[in-house]
Amino acid sequence: MYKLSRQEIIELQNKRLRAIIKYAYENSPFYRRKFSKIDIDSIRTKEDLKKIPFTTKDDVRENYPLGLLAVDFSKIIRFHASSGTTGNPTIVAYTKKDLENWTELCARCLELVGVTSNDVIQIAYGYGLFTGGLGFHYGAEKIGAKVIPTSTGNTKRQIKLMKDLGTTVICCTPSYALYLAETAKEENIDPKKDLKLRIGIFGAEPWSENTRKKLEENFVENAYDIYGMAELTGPGVAIECKYKNGLHVWEDYFIVEIIDPNTGEVLEPGERGEMVVTTLMKEAMPFIRYRTRDITILEEDSCDCGLNFARIMRILGRTDDMLKIRGVCVFPSQIEEVILKTNGLSPYYQIIADREGVMDKLIVRVEVAENFKTDKLTDVVMLQRKLEEELRDALGINTIVELVEPKKIPRSEGKAQRIIDLRKEKGLL
Amino acid sequence: MKQLCVFLENKPGRLANLLNILEEKKIKVLAMGIAEAGNYGIVRMIVDKFNEAIDALRNANMAVNQSNVIIVDLDKLAEVAKLFGDKGINIDYAYSMNNNKVVIKVDDEENAIKILSSKGIEFIP
Repeated sequence: MYKLSRQEIIELQNKRLRAIIKYAYENSPFYRRKFSKIDIDSIRTKEDLKKIPFTTKDDVRENYPLGLLAVDFSKIIRFHASSGTTGNPTIVAYTKKDLENWTELCARCLELVGVTSNDVIQIAYGYGLFTGGLGFHYGAEKIGAKVIPTSTGNTKRQIKLMKDLGTTVICCTPSYALYLAETAKEENIDPKKDLKLRIGIFGAEPWSENTRKKLEENFVENAYDIYGMAELTGPGVAIECKYKNGLHVWEDYFIVEIIDPNTGEVLEPGERGEMVVTTLMKEAMPFIRYRTRDITILEEDSCDCGLNFARIMRILGRTDDMLKIRGVCVFPSQIEEVILKTNGLSPYYQIIADREGVMDKLIVRVEVAENFKTDKLTDVVMLQRKLEEELRDALGINTIVELVEPKKIPRSEGKAQRIIDLRKEKGLL
Repeated sequence: MKQLCVFLENKPGRLANLLNILEEKKIKVLAMGIAEAGNYGIVRMIVDKFNEAIDALRNANMAVNQSNVIIVDLDKLAEVAKLFGDKGINIDYAYSMNNNKVVIKVDDEENAIKILSSKGIEFIP
């Protein structure tokens, strides 16, 4: 599989595409309705997908809980759910075959970044309805690695286990990794000296190149980005190789298209837009042209690692997380990038959007680092101004920076909640 | 003399919190000055137990560090300021202290101390 040529991958994709379209049409009333005006036999290749309407988060919500199901209920052996911030959660179902495939995808991801049966792998993603914990768990077991299923939370115990069992691989959200590194320091443990973390696999939220730098300086030898979502099985859809230049998508399981989120038009490789994914192998709940709301770029050129699977670039953000400030689109990851390259700040921040009269304003609240030189007030004022200037350069709009004391921003163990849109709370949007 | 510099948000209760941490450790504040800039400020102070104070504040996760200052008698301030001015030494800031003293921060500590010593002016380095 790792040796497949680009041509072989595309042929396999097209073959599986024809099969999944037929399968979905024949087995899922939802897709039969969706495809009612389409000659499904005309869907032969990825290019033909354009003829099929998108499947959206709203489709999933409107057909809650299991309206997209394509198998008899008796075939289901697992449920997971992704947290819905409003209303119903998104429930996903798995057959035995689905779980086997998911395990295979996670095992591939672990293998690609160099995890072997000799590794001690600590899984600090939530176990339970969230797909993170169990997905990695099964993948790691398939490889034969030594699994510590800590799930999230109890941060001091996480550090103790890392030290006492010699953890070599850590899987968690990047924001939790930063918190683990911070807590280790407070426990007088220097992760780079006292721990043996070779590999960190960080996903479930967008993060930046500067966060990678920070994590590799203070926590793990190599930090890798992984992508997935419950609707597409969970983690394991795509992962970075050792060259850390985009995440290889397992295209024998998924077809990725990039579209203009406003017009729905399919974009060319190299163009930034919303990622739309078609699952090729899912039995219980296939997702055909699913709008992930994640913004990225698809690159199909060859990678130095030799793998011919196309890559998605780091997720810039989710369209839901995108803030429109005075008409300009702002993603939290752009702000994070700036904060992390500025000395004197901690990596914890909050983004607050508000409106005064007719003017939107964007406030970035960030903690000063505990070791920040605070002798001269002018130094602090300069830091604030510098950050405001760099944010203006990066975002193209004015922001207000609020410096706060260390530990004033809430820490998260799972996905970080960084955006507060007061305009929504006030009913202005 | 070492002074403590603490970054604080400019909000009700923050200074009380800081002083409470010191009081719990029976640390006495001998001098204090606040410089504010909008939403935040810097509190500078001289305390009787410097090392204990810095540990207590770090344990409370406050952004704190230290710098050197010179303490002179308030009565001599005019004379000191003139001497420094003549030699091109700038006084960055100053705040008063108990017992009729004043804490000053200069941009050239080494020369400042030399001048004070040569003129026989009492000071605490």
